[in-house]
Amino acid sequence: MSEDIYQDVFSSFRGEEGELISILLRVQERIGYISEEAVMRISRFLRLSENQVYGVASFFSRFRFDAPGKTSIKVCMGTACHVHGGSLLADAVGWDLGITYGQATPDRRFDFQRANCLGCCTLAPVVEINEQIQSRVLVTKLKETMNRREEF
Amino acid sequence: MKQHTTRMTLTIDNKTVTADTGASILDVARQNGIDIPTLCWHEQLSPHGGCRMCIVEVEGLSHFPTACTTPAADGMIVRTHTAQIREMRAEILQLFLSEHTASCLVCDEQEECREYMSTVRKAGVTTGCRYCPKDGQCELQAVTESLGVRDIIYPIYYRGIPVETEDPFYDRDYNLCILCGRCVRMCQEVRLADVLAYKHRGRDAIIGPAFARTHLEAGCEFCGACVSVCPTGTLREKARAWEGAPDREEITTCTFCGVGCQVRLLVKEDRIIGSLPADDPTVNQGQLCVKGRFCNTELVNGHQRIRHPYRRENDIAWDVSWDAAFELIAEKLRSSAPERTGMLVSSNLTNEDLYVAQKFMRVVMKTHHIDSTARLFYGSGFSAYLTLMDRAVPLSAIRDASAVLMVGLDTRFSRSVVGVAIRTAMKRGIRMFTLHSREHTFSLNADVWLQPEVGEEYRYVEALVRLAAGEDVTDRSIPADMRVRLADVARALSESDSPVILVGAEFLQYDSSRAFLAAVAQLADHVGAGVLTLPAQNNLYGSLLSGSFPELLPGMRPTADAARLQKLESLWGTSLTGLTDAWNADHLLRDDCAMQFLYAVGALPPVHRGAAKFTVFQNMYPPEPYCSADLVLPTAAATETDGSFLNGERRVQRVRRAVAPPGIALPDWDILCRLARHMGAEGFAFTRPEEIREEMAQVIPGFGEAEIDARGILPLAFDAVMHVSGNGTAQRPPDSDHPFILHSSVVEHTHRGFPLAAWVEGSRILFPEGVLDISAEDARALGLRDGDSVHVSGASFEEIYPVRIVRQQPRGALHASILESALTHPNPQPVSVRKADV
Ligand code: SF4
Ligand code: SF4
Ligand code: SF4
Ligand code: FES
Ligand code: FES
Repeated sequence: MSEDIYQDVFSSFRGEEGELISILLRVQERIGYISEEAVMRISRFLRLSENQVYGVASFFSRFRFDAPGKTSIKVCMGTACHVHGGSLLADAVGWDLGITYGQATPDRRFDFQRANCLGCCTLAPVVEINEQIQSRVLVTKLKETMNRREEF
Repeated sequence: MKQHTTRMTLTIDNKTVTADTGASILDVARQNGIDIPTLCWHEQLSPHGGCRMCIVEVEGLSHFPTACTTPAADGMIVRTHTAQIREMRAEILQLFLSEHTASCLVCDEQEECREYMSTVRKAGVTTGCRYCPKDGQCELQAVTESLGVRDIIYPIYYRGIPVETEDPFYDRDYNLCILCGRCVRMCQEVRLADVLAYKHRGRDAIIGPAFARTHLEAGCEFCGACVSVCPTGTLREKARAWEGAPDREEITTCTFCGVGCQVRLLVKEDRIIGSLPADDPTVNQGQLCVKGRFCNTELVNGHQRIRHPYRRENDIAWDVSWDAAFELIAEKLRSSAPERTGMLVSSNLTNEDLYVAQKFMRVVMKTHHIDSTARLFYGSGFSAYLTLMDRAVPLSAIRDASAVLMVGLDTRFSRSVVGVAIRTAMKRGIRMFTLHSREHTFSLNADVWLQPEVGEEYRYVEALVRLAAGEDVTDRSIPADMRVRLADVARALSESDSPVILVGAEFLQYDSSRAFLAAVAQLADHVGAGVLTLPAQNNLYGSLLSGSFPELLPGMRPTADAARLQKLESLWGTSLTGLTDAWNADHLLRDDCAMQFLYAVGALPPVHRGAAKFTVFQNMYPPEPYCSADLVLPTAAATETDGSFLNGERRVQRVRRAVAPPGIALPDWDILCRLARHMGAEGFAFTRPEEIREEMAQVIPGFGEAEIDARGILPLAFDAVMHVSGNGTAQRPPDSDHPFILHSSVVEHTHRGFPLAAWVEGSRILFPEGVLDISAEDARALGLRDGDSVHVSGASFEEIYPVRIVRQQPRGALHASILESALTHPNPQPVSVRKADV
């Protein structure tokens, strides 16, 4: 199955070194992150070492190397949200899940990211939970939501 | 070479200078004695322009270019040391230092501290230069001093990265790293190994392989090239970390394989503290493999080296003097018949050692019974291998080749300098093919990987022969896609002007090795290829040429050569008629071999005790307890004697004495000469290796001092018939009782009979002996974990091995690296495997 994903992605490339970033982007689109297997397959396709592929990928904060959690929590840290206490929200989520942004909980249920402006500054501070914008979030409200994690 | 180069004229620091076009500002400045500080620049690497230490002022430019990356131009006016530039450099340096855990670099008490260690309190706070292995040899320290930086105005940010110590041979403390990228460029540009890369960004930037892998997992060759270029203490050799600067250096030849790299030994207080590649344009071009770079130091310095002769009887050992030892040997030799006396030598000895050894047996003992353990290594393919060696082309042939075929060669840990040469040639666009049943260094980047089933390799070579001769290959046992690849390879080799075939050690102990090697020779004939065998025994050629075989006289002439015998008789002043030649090393593996006297010079005598009534064991390290040895004599290592080796290209190269042997150990030739004199023999008055070479030169051309210095290739032809033992047992396919195929190869990483793993700690991890490799899938199916013991049994064979799970092992195939004496046939053989009960 996963075999097909890579072949599928590679089929629209020629296998040249310069295509590395585009391939990485396409792979992350498909499987959500850059897995060890992805690095290995890309390295064989482009005939680069796995170390080089990883080196390039890790330069960009866009690429992640662990599988994302099921429920995605994105705390906005853009200017508007920041002045409205976005970082307090981020701290709260971090404390609650025991991880920092950019990580997923070990059980892969939650995924914690930060965003730089989600485009709805009038609702600041905002948190996006599974693509749904929660507006004017307070730490207590967020805590409450987090406490009902079974719902997610 | 260019006919004429254009010159340009420019001004640096008010001095008018001229230079060839193409040179950088830094090159021109240095050529004219103007020093510009640098950190990321290194003579072996491409300029990087990363550290910005070398910024200069160029009239007409508004910015400050880096001298290392900016080409000098005609009429340029450059200033390298203005007040402004000095200040900018100092500021950039402080940025480096603000992340560098060695505040000693700018400490006020630096001088006092160096002498009296007054500022002890720093120890717990930072690493401190007194706690860095590079102290005194560090380029960052030198630059800090030369720029006169005594303070850091930026906030200190130490990263607190744990030091990486899990890999063999070198450690990494990235807290000291200045991200100059020299190691990355070395690994990527020069070694073309691509293990090191920059990872992450900004504050988190660090150097290393993918994910959090160790270097071992990431395919590192442990060549140590990155360690050599690191300007700071980040990359540090485990064995040399705290040794400080060497007192002197000595150039010699590596003793670990037939490539014969030139090595620079670092000596301090009459001890070898390290070895680095010599800048040698002929053989290794400034590169080494893990053995030459790291194993040597540990091997020659082992505290268990033998220092005194000693006698062993009934498990009791006691020291004896050299005289007592000689008297004992003389007494035993006088009472043993020539046909029941034998000498076993290792092909790691110098030409001079080997020549004296065979002369001793022929002149004093009146027998041709001298043999090299190399015979056991090659088994039934011995003759075929020697015939193949005859076609050896120089290593430079790789550089000139347009296509290369590697058969059974993995260059990761052995002959890795050849791997570098091949990858360099690949950059140039040559076609590169590899034939190997297991995944190896080249399986990913070769143009074609011919991957036969284990044991089927020779069929593939035979198929190539037929294809090259224009025939079709219809062999159904070769899968269709592989037949296509074979045709592609055969075509490319035939069309290539100067193809080279490199032969590795992987299949040499197969029962099919004779057929395999013969097919390689045929293929070479058909496509007009040069062959490079580069034997595992560094001086295999030397042992042939010096006559250290029962079938060979000095000069590589057959024992039956009457003219050569006559010449030797007059040279040695003794009769050589009627000498026995019925014995060779193969006999040692038989249980019924009842020798009266066996002399093992740098070789391990057989495991079972009954092999000889009396055994002399002459080596660097003591024999294993189960090894038969009645008298143990200490010898000098190759770093402790002068002499010469003949590498796999047949190049004579010097071995130089860098330090004295431990205790009262002596070089092998010296021991044998003293023994011969003790026994009243004539013709052993040699006191220096030059004298031995003088005599050798009379029967073996090419051994004059000037010729050795020229390091030329000796024109040799091999035409003797060697006895080979072989039971060409046909290979059986796996069956339901024996579902696995076990392929055994003899460890090629040996020295004087010992596996390097016995005396060099790091090599136990890289090339362990007596370990069974199994694929991850098979291991899972059998419920095995790394290090578990398994019981392996075949039709006539049973053994318990610890397992090592190897990602690249094909399913259903097992591989074991074993010692010569443990090799059983058939090989490969079908076996069954179960977890051993503990
Ligand atoms: S030891 Fe050699 S192969 Fe390994 S990282 Fe350093 S340069 Fe690369
Ligand atoms: S490890 Fe050494 S060579 Fe590599 S970047 Fe750091 S300081 Fe430079
Ligand atoms: S390639 Fe051979 S000769 Fe060169 S360093 Fe390695 S073992 Fe020594
Ligand atoms: S700053 Fe948070 S939505 Fe714009
Ligand atoms: S030496 Fe020129 S930038 Fe580092």
